[in-house]
Amino acid sequence: MKTTDRRVPTRRQFLATTAGATAGMASWLALGKAPAHAQKRELTFLSWNHFVPASDDELRKQAEAFGKANNCTVRVDTMAHLQMPSKIAAEAQSQSGHDMYRTASADPFLYENLLITMDDVVEKVGKQGGGWYSFAAESCQTKSGWKAIPWFWVSFPGTYNMAHFKKAGFEHPPKTWDELLKQGKVLKKQGNPVGIPISHCSDAHSTYWSVAWSQGAKVLEADGKTPGIVSDKTAQVIEWYKDLYTNAMEPEVLSWDDAGNNRFILSGKGSWIHNPISPYNAALANKQPIADDINHHNSPGGPAGIHSAPPNLSMGIWKFSKNQELAKEFIVYLFQKQNFDAWIVASNAFNHPPLKNLADHPIWARNPKFAMLPKEAEYAHPRGWPAKPSEAVQRIDDNYIMADMVAKAVNGMPTKRAMDWAQEQIALAVKGQLKVQ
Amino acid sequence: MAVGPRVLEAAGLREPGRRTRLREWWEQEHIFGYGLIVPAIVLLVTLVGFPFGMAIWFSLSDYWVGSPGGFVGLTNYRDILGNETFRQTVQNSFVFTGIALTLKIVLGVWLAMLLARNLSFKRVIRGIVLLPFVIPTALSTLAWLWMFDSLYSVVNWTAIRLHLISAPGPNWLGQSAYAMAAVITVNVWRGLPFFAIVVLAGLMTVPREYLEAAEVDGASSWGRFWHVTLPLIRPVLAVVILFSTIFTFADFNIVQVLTRGGPINTTHLFATLAYQVGLQGGNLGQGAAISLFIFPLLALVVFFQLRYVREE
Repeated sequence: MKTTDRRVPTRRQFLATTAGATAGMASWLALGKAPAHAQKRELTFLSWNHFVPASDDELRKQAEAFGKANNCTVRVDTMAHLQMPSKIAAEAQSQSGHDMYRTASADPFLYENLLITMDDVVEKVGKQGGGWYSFAAESCQTKSGWKAIPWFWVSFPGTYNMAHFKKAGFEHPPKTWDELLKQGKVLKKQGNPVGIPISHCSDAHSTYWSVAWSQGAKVLEADGKTPGIVSDKTAQVIEWYKDLYTNAMEPEVLSWDDAGNNRFILSGKGSWIHNPISPYNAALANKQPIADDINHHNSPGGPAGIHSAPPNLSMGIWKFSKNQELAKEFIVYLFQKQNFDAWIVASNAFNHPPLKNLADHPIWARNPKFAMLPKEAEYAHPRGWPAKPSEAVQRIDDNYIMADMVAKAVNGMPTKRAMDWAQEQIALAVKGQLKVQ
Repeated sequence: MAVGPRVLEAAGLREPGRRTRLREWWEQEHIFGYGLIVPAIVLLVTLVGFPFGMAIWFSLSDYWVGSPGGFVGLTNYRDILGNETFRQTVQNSFVFTGIALTLKIVLGVWLAMLLARNLSFKRVIRGIVLLPFVIPTALSTLAWLWMFDSLYSVVNWTAIRLHLISAPGPNWLGQSAYAMAAVITVNVWRGLPFFAIVVLAGLMTVPREYLEAAEVDGASSWGRFWHVTLPLIRPVLAVVILFSTIFTFADFNIVQVLTRGGPINTTHLFATLAYQVGLQGGNLGQGAAISLFIFPLLALVVFFQLRYVREE
């Protein structure tokens, strides 16, 4: 019989080895740093799962190139956007996690005391780029300075199915929200309803802010502390929503997540949605014939003009980060014209630059379906307007207060009661200020 | 009589060394017993006790994410009681738990009775029954999300094809009653195997002689179940109901994936509202108060259930 010559360690050897390893690990942990051979700077960046995945691919490519040039590693982690607030909260609470992250909405205000001031890098990048759009700048400027740097914004145009509109006898898409209501009633009868989410998703609020501002309604007064939702203007907005829900939409809008309206227009059933250009990009990427029928137009307006609340994404660096300077260098690198241009191209026009010089990119002019998108910047405000962005605004969005107010009303609650309910919820959201350490 | 050094010397024996004395000390029953449970206690205190204590402290303070707060007493509890969304959540939680638990009890016992029979492929069937309990909840709930989708609902599609309903069918996740029905359905689907398998274990302990005697006395199958089987499996049933009550009240994944508490907060449970207020909204104090609100009631349930089990 042939025996295999396996070297079985003795108990003594095993104990010696494990004790050595444990001691090594203990010294590593006690010193708080890895042994010399394992030391290579690693910058970690938490972002969202981009709605155009190629954009994340390009971001990782640039991160890798930056890492090679600076003898470090840049790790880009991405996750679903709706899960980000809780992940960020956990990192803020534990004072550990990524070095930098993609902030959204009023995060710089929510975590003002936990993010580093970025005035130096903002000034440097801003000068090179011809200045920031005011709505993007306002969302990052806190009382204690720039707590994030605007990264990109996402236009929120009307997206419509040209074939359905043509069949219904409409020459052009709606220019106002009232016109959308009129056209929607006809389109629904034709079997092609319109769709605006009235549910727990961020698109529901993006549209609500837009509709309310166009009607002249507010959520907060300019002081940022006084709820301003109970008004005749808001009542008109709610009545408009009720009419639209009953006569131009299907009840499914009450259950949509952020991808609901995308699926709705891509299924061929829907005729109009208020959404970024991701459905069109998805149709192109998947070679769906419906891409030929989909087109975009500027967000509708109302008696108070055209207004929009585009999602506005920035980058913030945690105070607990050990790589603050490296993070700043990485940000400057991302804003280099050739890099930002490549990133816009990868997103197929989804990512809009917050800097005026970078906005002059041929991608929007090349495709007539994108031509009007940069104009959206003219109508944009940070959420909360006329109040300045604040952590209260963030909480109003996080708790889906306006979406619920409208949902209550379309489900039969009297308009006045729905407004009173929202007023109470907004008062609660305004209560409790973060204490700057 | 103590065996001292002089006795050992007379017997020609050496005094025991330090190691022997240490072993003798360690092997005393009261030392050894406690020694064995120390790791478990450390683990419980670290992973359960500490976070629980922190949650109580958060709920009594105006703690915001990243901003340590001061002691505010019961302010958070008073605030949430005055909030209509929270009151709605309390109602949802009781409706959700009440209906889901009742269904799990009835269907669980029924399924256990079926599984107790001498079926062919008994083991395979029992394995399959356990599947919903084994698959990660978030993953299986995503499949349900598609089944209830407003456009592509396979539930509606099937029912329409079978002429059970007319098109387009219910809007499962967009209307309050349907949405509650949907989350209850998924919770029952997922929790049923746990119920059935535990009750099945209880059924296995019921002596056949009792059932045969009852049959000889002319008891119907319902009579045998009601007067013989049920009293004998009552302690097992009490334990499984206890666990399931806690699991159901504390459910998070199903609601978070399917409805995120909507429509209009009509499916919010304590855990999902606490997550929204505490983590997404940054108000940790209020979030902790919401999640702990039901604790005293659950503690009472646990106390009485366990006392009942001990008496049984």
